[in-house]
Order: sequence, then structure tokens, then C-alpha cells
Amino acid sequence: MSLKWPLWIGLYVVLGVLVPWATALSWAHQHGSEMRPRVRQLFQRGELGLVGLVVVISVIWNLLQSQFMQQTIALAVVLLAVIGTMAGDVWIESYCRQSTGTAWSSERTWRDSRNLAFLVFTMASVVEVLLDRFAKVAAL
Amino acid sequence: MSAPAPALAKPQRPKVIVRLADAAVAVASLSLIFGLLLVFFPVEFPRIIVTRQRGYLAVVLMVLTLVLDAFLYLRASYLRSAKPTVLVAACLGSLPIIVVGGLSFLMESAVAQTISLDLPNLQARINEEVLAHTYLGLVSAVFLPFLVIRLLQQFKATS
Repeated sequence: MSLKWPLWIGLYVVLGVLVPWATALSWAHQHGSEMRPRVRQLFQRGELGLVGLVVVISVIWNLLQSQFMQQTIALAVVLLAVIGTMAGDVWIESYCRQSTGTAWSSERTWRDSRNLAFLVFTMASVVEVLLDRFAKVAAL
Repeated sequence: MSAPAPALAKPQRPKVIVRLADAAVAVASLSLIFGLLLVFFPVEFPRIIVTRQRGYLAVVLMVLTLVLDAFLYLRASYLRSAKPTVLVAACLGSLPIIVVGGLSFLMESAVAQTISLDLPNLQARINEEVLAHTYLGLVSAVFLPFLVIRLLQQFKATS
């Protein structure tokens, strides 16, 4: 089993989650602020759902370029698109609630976006493993 | 007949509001287990699935997803002290079976098409198709019923 897919998913975790967090800490340090945001505070409006949506787009692109049968590709693409949309929807709902003054809970938004982002990341990893296996079989 | 005194009236429990986040953790855990088994047992685990493909794989998937969906729903109702509804229970009872059944036909169609193309390394390709469909079927059968119920509940609340 190659290390391609863990590196691929690691890129998203680093660039999508750790870099924004480090940038916020760096900004606070540069401006002499006492602010020390945690990952949870930084993504409390459901932004993790958006990171999940970006991951899903990338996996869908990889699936479309694979040699799996059309039925398999269609099923995987639809499922990933639905789950990615639901993850992104957490951020949309949070934005709409805050904009209209409707009851909004940062605790609930964080929990929903974290759970759906976890689902997107694990699904993306498994699909990448399956793509990796199939590419090896097809190359034989 | 007079109305019951307020103190004696049974308090009405609210109905369970299904949240996708509840199902998301369970499906993510399933994915994680499936992925780890694939990584650490790259030959043995797929072989178990492929050898049962012609037999009772669909039945095992149906039972597994039904039990998991029922557990998630009952857990949500327990945690929120809410009352399970018959309509949702009926949805959760039928949708996993419909999803797994429908996807089994899709898998057969993908396998038939692979065979008809007469590609090199045919058996290994078929095995990978079966493996992918098993995983996607498992995830769909747990997640999609919750998605349907969530959307129906939202539609009912707004109409």
C-alpha cells in the first residue's frame, strides 16, 4: 500500500485546518494581542464544513479520472456530493441564522461541522484507498 | 366527563428531531474501520467480502445497517428525552433494505459490464468493483435514511 493517500489527506488537514490556526496565532503575536484562539474558536461558525466540501470536490475529480465502471463512479460521486453539500450547509445555516438574528448556538454549529467534516475525511480516505488499489490492478 | 386535573395529566414528550451529525459520527466510524481493515489486511479482508458476494453479503449488509439505524434513532430519542414516532421508525425500517437492495442491482450491473468489456486482469477488477460497491452501499444505507428523515422533518416544520 502506497503512502500517496495519507499524504494527500494530510495536505488538507495541514493547509485547511492547521495553517489557518497558525496564521491566527501569528497575527495575534504580530499585533501584540492577548488573543490565543483554539481550533474550535476559529471554526465555530461551521467553516470546517467548507474544508470538507473542498476535500469532496477533490475526491470527485479523482473518481472521474479513474477506470472504475460508470455505475460505481456515479454512486460514489452522488454520495460524496450529498455529504459534502450537507457539510457546507452547516456554515450556510450558521451564516443565515446569525444574519437574521435567529437563535444560533456556536456549540451546536461546531459539533455539527466537526462531525460532518470527520465523516467527509474518513470517506475521502477510504475512497482514495479504493482508487489506489484499483489503479494498481488496472496497471497490471 | 370532566377534563383531567393539570397535575394528573401526563407530560407530553417532544418528538425526536433527527440530526445528521448523529448519524455522521457512526458512519465515519464505520468508514474508519473499513479503511483500517483495508490497509492492514489488504488481501484477507477483500477476500472475505468477495467470496460472500454471491451469497448472503446483501442480507448481512441489510441486517447490519438496520440494527445500526435503529440503535442511532433510539439513542437520539433517549439523549433528548423525546418520543420515537411510528412514521420515522417505518422509514428507518424500510429505507436501508431498499437502499441495499437497489445498490445490489447496480453492483451486478457494474460487474456484468466489466465482464463484457473483456479487460485484462478481469477477476481482480471485478473484486475491486465489488469492494467499492460494498463500502458505498454500507455508507449509503446508514446515512441516506437519516438524510431523508431530516429533510422530511424540515419540510414538515416549514409547511
